[in-house]
Amino acid sequence: MTSSKHGASGVAVPQGRAFEMRRREFLGAVGVGGLTAVLAACTGGGQSAREAAQDDGTLQWWDQFRPLTGMFEASLFEPYMQANNGVTIERRQMEGPDLAQAIQVARRSNQMPDVHSLAGLQATPAALVSEGWFQSIGAHADFEGSALGDQLFDGIHRFDGEVYSVPLFSGRMHEATPWVNTELLGQADVDPAESPATWDDLRAAAKRITDRTGVHGLVVPLKEVEYLKTLVTALAQSAGAPGTVGWTVDWRTGEYVYDSQPFVDALEFLVSLQADGVVHPSSASMGARDARARWAAGEAGIYLWGPWIIGGLMVDEPEAVERGIDAWSLPGAETTRNPIGRGPGTGVFWVNKDSQQPEVAAELLLQMSSREFQLQLASAMDQPPALVDVVAEADVHPAYARNIEHLAKDVRISPVPEAGNPSTWRVAAEMQDVHPDLGEIAQAILTGSGGDIKGELTKLNDAMNAERDRAIEAVSSEGADVGLEDWVFENWDPATDYDQAAYGAR
Amino acid sequence: MTITTSAPPSATGTKGPDGRAQRSRKHSFREIWWIYVFLLPTLLGYGAYTVYPLLASWWYALLDWPGFAVSGEFVGLQNFERLLTDHQFWNAFGKSLLFLVIAVPARVGLALLLALWLNSKRTPFSGFFRTLFFLPVVTTGAIIGIVFTLLLDGGGPISLGLVWAGITETPTNLVANAGTSLYAGIAVWVWKWLGITMIYWLAALQTVPQDVHEAAMLDGANGRKEFWHVTLPLLVPFLVIITLIDTVSALNVFDLMQTLTAGGPAFSSEVIEIFIYRTAFAATVPQLGYASAAAVLFGLLTVIIAVAQGAGVRWARARMGGGS
Repeated sequence: MTSSKHGASGVAVPQGRAFEMRRREFLGAVGVGGLTAVLAACTGGGQSAREAAQDDGTLQWWDQFRPLTGMFEASLFEPYMQANNGVTIERRQMEGPDLAQAIQVARRSNQMPDVHSLAGLQATPAALVSEGWFQSIGAHADFEGSALGDQLFDGIHRFDGEVYSVPLFSGRMHEATPWVNTELLGQADVDPAESPATWDDLRAAAKRITDRTGVHGLVVPLKEVEYLKTLVTALAQSAGAPGTVGWTVDWRTGEYVYDSQPFVDALEFLVSLQADGVVHPSSASMGARDARARWAAGEAGIYLWGPWIIGGLMVDEPEAVERGIDAWSLPGAETTRNPIGRGPGTGVFWVNKDSQQPEVAAELLLQMSSREFQLQLASAMDQPPALVDVVAEADVHPAYARNIEHLAKDVRISPVPEAGNPSTWRVAAEMQDVHPDLGEIAQAILTGSGGDIKGELTKLNDAMNAERDRAIEAVSSEGADVGLEDWVFENWDPATDYDQAAYGAR
Repeated sequence: MTITTSAPPSATGTKGPDGRAQRSRKHSFREIWWIYVFLLPTLLGYGAYTVYPLLASWWYALLDWPGFAVSGEFVGLQNFERLLTDHQFWNAFGKSLLFLVIAVPARVGLALLLALWLNSKRTPFSGFFRTLFFLPVVTTGAIIGIVFTLLLDGGGPISLGLVWAGITETPTNLVANAGTSLYAGIAVWVWKWLGITMIYWLAALQTVPQDVHEAAMLDGANGRKEFWHVTLPLLVPFLVIITLIDTVSALNVFDLMQTLTAGGPAFSSEVIEIFIYRTAFAATVPQLGYASAAAVLFGLLTVIIAVAQGAGVRWARARMGGGS
């Protein structure tokens, strides 16, 4: 039934008709609004938000350095904002793996921060620069003339002559320092001031702690394959293996060395620790941070991790530092000491290509490159600062200072293929992961599901050589000027740093 | 008695049944249009967060897309060809199927036993126990994964309890042993979701008429005979539906397995979702296209199960006499 009603003008208006029009308009408006919302959510909504943030002068800064939070805020961002009206810096701190995922998602949804670190991202900076992630900062500040100027490498920090980032932390470090609970060592009558000379000495110390204190000798976070990868590599290098963490190759030949005897020995050493019953029984369920927490709680005497452990403990478990902590140097397989190879300090913070505030970012990074700021970095006891000599002047825990001394003796700067030929990034990007990798092999063996150590490592080695050969061929066919010779550094001497002059003399 | 009404024939004879139906639909829409307005937010959400990602993943599966590149390059079916020879993918696929084959019968069967026990009038504190068994259902899967990592590790109470009981000689890390990690995950998953399946069964048991029980008792059936010959046949349609619901649920275990074992050790508990996650986010060069192809293949499995679910539900309704 359709009724009609007289309007004010006296014209009869069919009520149903008028109602239908309003309904259509309403539905249309709701539909258009909804569609807009969906499209915004799917494509460009985040970009709008980001642009708004940039317009009001906010600089977004993402990193993973939890121990540096207070220092960044108090010594860098706050003073800068006070001195520069209209600039707001918003920092977000995330765990490394979370940051890597957040950056990948932000990249695809156009919500990248202005400045971020590369924690957890496995891609080389050269690859990211080539993919257009970053913009150069060299034109906005004089990094070449800064205290870190002589630590800038082509292919690592400088691309096509432009500076993109600076190495705020030293490359002279490894992730396998044996950190010890001095209280437990005292109970076990083990001298915390005397580093074990050999793996057997470390094994004996762990056994003594277990036997005399009832606490497990050491904890090894077996759940985290990346941790295991770096741990086994460091142990193998201490037994004489060449290479570095990213490229486990012999720089004299360019071939992978996973199947060399030092790697076999390193895995057998870890197996022997388990056989001794000195490894915390819950190790297989722990990641690196879990292991630190359990070690800090006094559940194990020794934990092998990086120099940043004290900085983290000071934030989360300061009582573990107050109770007593010390650092041993990483022992070798035999009494002969072999250097641990690591590449030069990498660029830490990078400025997004679309950032509207590269000048602000560059000024902040230049401040961070100063000796004064490096001194403050040392005081936070995270990764060793690039100007590592400032540690001697900084207010740091004696164990941190001692570890820096050990690292100075034990670590040598190795060659990096990207610094020799930046085009090698294309090979790294083309290479597909080989599984099981070194960490996964170690995990399998140490949890009782692995097979023959030598056989597994040989399979990995052959697969890595074959995959790199395939990748070189693939990118060469696309025009890249790269070959196996880019992994060969005949003038490499394991006992000395491979510096800028060495690259030039190659 | 049935009352039927019929519309009078059109006076002009120009409007046939089609025209009337059109008018009727229009009239009906005028009265219920607001229902669609209220449905709109759900439709938009479903479109944005289910349909769009689903369609996008099919497109991405055809791309070679390194995670750090803005976009991918079309490579046709290459990702699928590579998947067919990727033993890591098939390992994960097999683990997912194994999970499903063991976990679903265990969850359905144990929940039925629990429901029968709690449905009995002789069971004391049945309300309390129902709440107790339902509690894990409302707890976040990731939290349960973390807690059980501690409970099941070598120094945890379960491992020590097994040693104390003489079942194992030395502490065993059940979640970090390649021989037990998947089964530990299955056990925790069954425990977590037992409560919701128990509720399904309790509801199903309420549909069995009391007079049927009484008739069986009068005929001299004991408890076991009554269950096998009277109760269970009446529950078969529910069994089909509950099994299919639990089957789909068993294919969505990422949060629990990632926090409990992360797929390890040595890929022994890597279900397909962890494989996809690892390929898309944790690889040296994240491979979005390849991960999407794996998700699509996995999705096909889910679709097959969903179709089976639809057929099962239809059969069950027919069996219950519920019409179409």
